[in-house]
Amino acid sequence: MSDTLTLDSTLIAAVLATLLPFASFVLIMVFTRNHRRLSAGLSIGAITVSLISAVFLLVCHWHLQTPLQYFGRWVVSGDIVIPYGFLLDPVSLLMLTVVAAISFLVQGYSLGYMADDKGFSRYYAFMSLFAWAMLNLTIAPTLFQLYIFWELVGLSSYLLIGFWYEKFSASQAGKKAFVMTRLGDVAFFLGLLLALVHLGNLNILELNSPRVAAQMSPTLITVSALLIFGGIIGKSAQFPLMTWLPDAMEGPTPVSALLHSATMVAAGVFLFCRLFPFFSQSAVAMGVFLAIGTITMLLSSTMAMVSRDIKQVWAYSTISQLGFMIMGLAAGSFFAGMFHLTTHAGFKALLFLCAGVFIHALGTNDIFEISRLGGRRLKVPTVCMAIAAAALAGLPPFSGFFSKEVILAALAELDNPIWLVAGLLGAFLTAYYTFRLIFILVVPDQSEPRQPDDSHGHAGYWQMGGPLIVLATVTVLLGFFQGPLENFFGNHICSVSAHTGSHGWLPYIAIATAASGLILAWVEFGRRNSARVGFVERIGWLYNLFSERWYMDRFYRRFVDVVIYRIISGLCTQNDNRVIDAGLDALSKDAVQSGRFVSELHLSMIQYRLLAIFVVVALLALYFFF
Amino acid sequence: MIVPFGHVLILAGLLFLMGVFCTVTRRSLIMMLLGIEIMLNAAAILLVGSTLHWQNLEGQVIVLFVFAVAAAEVSVGLALIVWAYRRTGSVDPGDYNLLK
Repeated sequence: MSDTLTLDSTLIAAVLATLLPFASFVLIMVFTRNHRRLSAGLSIGAITVSLISAVFLLVCHWHLQTPLQYFGRWVVSGDIVIPYGFLLDPVSLLMLTVVAAISFLVQGYSLGYMADDKGFSRYYAFMSLFAWAMLNLTIAPTLFQLYIFWELVGLSSYLLIGFWYEKFSASQAGKKAFVMTRLGDVAFFLGLLLALVHLGNLNILELNSPRVAAQMSPTLITVSALLIFGGIIGKSAQFPLMTWLPDAMEGPTPVSALLHSATMVAAGVFLFCRLFPFFSQSAVAMGVFLAIGTITMLLSSTMAMVSRDIKQVWAYSTISQLGFMIMGLAAGSFFAGMFHLTTHAGFKALLFLCAGVFIHALGTNDIFEISRLGGRRLKVPTVCMAIAAAALAGLPPFSGFFSKEVILAALAELDNPIWLVAGLLGAFLTAYYTFRLIFILVVPDQSEPRQPDDSHGHAGYWQMGGPLIVLATVTVLLGFFQGPLENFFGNHICSVSAHTGSHGWLPYIAIATAASGLILAWVEFGRRNSARVGFVERIGWLYNLFSERWYMDRFYRRFVDVVIYRIISGLCTQNDNRVIDAGLDALSKDAVQSGRFVSELHLSMIQYRLLAIFVVVALLALYFFF
Repeated sequence: MIVPFGHVLILAGLLFLMGVFCTVTRRSLIMMLLGIEIMLNAAAILLVGSTLHWQNLEGQVIVLFVFAVAAAEVSVGLALIVWAYRRTGSVDPGDYNLLK
């Protein structure tokens, strides 16, 4: 009796969590667009209920043994049944809570940040749309349903990046993000079709079961895993498609915090976690993933070392941390990726929200400018940012340290030490660029002292400060929940790598690397009378290489110009002009000509023709009768 | 039947030829329409004569229908002619050379 009761309340909670944001999106778009407070209230109310339901689900099923599935039929056509439902297992429960929590905090924060914007209602409608899509993505039981919400997430990302669509660069950035992620999604979709053709359905649990190996050959598994990974590359901004994410910073800062750091870009890593048992059946594919994660992490860390734009630095570090998660997962540790995903969502959202306070208060994105205008006088964001930065750099006792340590341990288990070295190098670079920014921000610049006006009193400061403090607390405390979380996942996923005690030295190495990055940053930026010029800036070509994003954007620009615009669309234009247009022109010209000819025959001689008809009929009659 | 069938045939034939002549030679649309009507009536006379000759009344019913159709045809035809006259200021079929 009580069992059915729990099941029912679970289902109700899941429906509530996933449906309300959509309802608020529709209500805002249809009815309350002109009522700012009502729109914000609807949206925040919906996400609050979602958050409560998500936490309720997480607490109820903390000791979940087998995944729960609920199915309803959505489309039935002949033999094809497309189900719609919920899948509750540790991965989806944790992600659901993370997404709902960060959405809730960011929406609260946006009350202050977006207060003066004319698109306030539209902003909250899109935020609700995003929350709906992302929450549904996390608990989708089939890849098909996941794919639908995956695309909806892409759509809301596009809408929010281009939120200030009057700004040309913003609409361009939205377009770029949409097109680049779409490239990956095409591969994802092909991978889905391949799996669908061979397996007959796309149920995630069945895809993850060992039976798949019997139904698909190893080559096919590798190919479909690589194709599905294409979607992850697009969504999580991995190596070949990573350049959309820095441009996506054109959107409002809370959007960057929610979508482009904590949740949406993490959807790719989440998908990896979702299909982890499936992916791990192909060693080749895992090798490729590991390489791509490593390349991404190192490339984007170097880009972050020279950027002057506060949001860009965090964007690069997001890409780099996503690469790090992929590395951990590809190294075979499911828990490492998921744990870092969770901690990263917390501290990266915090970093962006702090950056948002600076940008809102001082009106500039440039870190040197923020420093000169006295950004350090904004106590709450400065302290919170330092905490989050320490977590990002992997310093104990903040959450990032624990999750990074798990990933490094997973890398250390691999036979080839190069991955561990790359991981440590990445950790070093991360600590360097993080504290470069912090020192620039915190240490006063003697060269140009200026008395800043006291910005403490500006509107919405405490509205924005609240979420910061909550997130900072989470960042400090979350690391200590490693054990319980590991148990939570360990109940269910059997392939968690066995943590042996053989890497007892690893935490010390990790701390030493992070600390050396910190010290280098202090020498160059934090010291009294330091030059405030990084070692990279001293080497001209290296600086150019890094600040031009390894010329990837230039390459894509040229590629698009030459291959797509000049060759492909050139050929299409030729075809259009010479074949289709010319053919139609010739056809219509001939039709006109023949019409002229026929009309000549019809010229005003009715009576002669009548006479001819009569004569002919009469002659025919004579012929037939006589 | 008092009138011999041969006379009926001759009358109908003459009437028809007169209709043809009128339609083909007159330089006015109205007269052409009139010619057509005369041809139609020639056919009607022939039908009436033959029903009496073969003692079969169905032909006379057909004649009634022909009258109805002829009335409709005249009204439509006259309307067309009036319209054509307004457009071109002439009822001579030789003047209608828009297609040239």
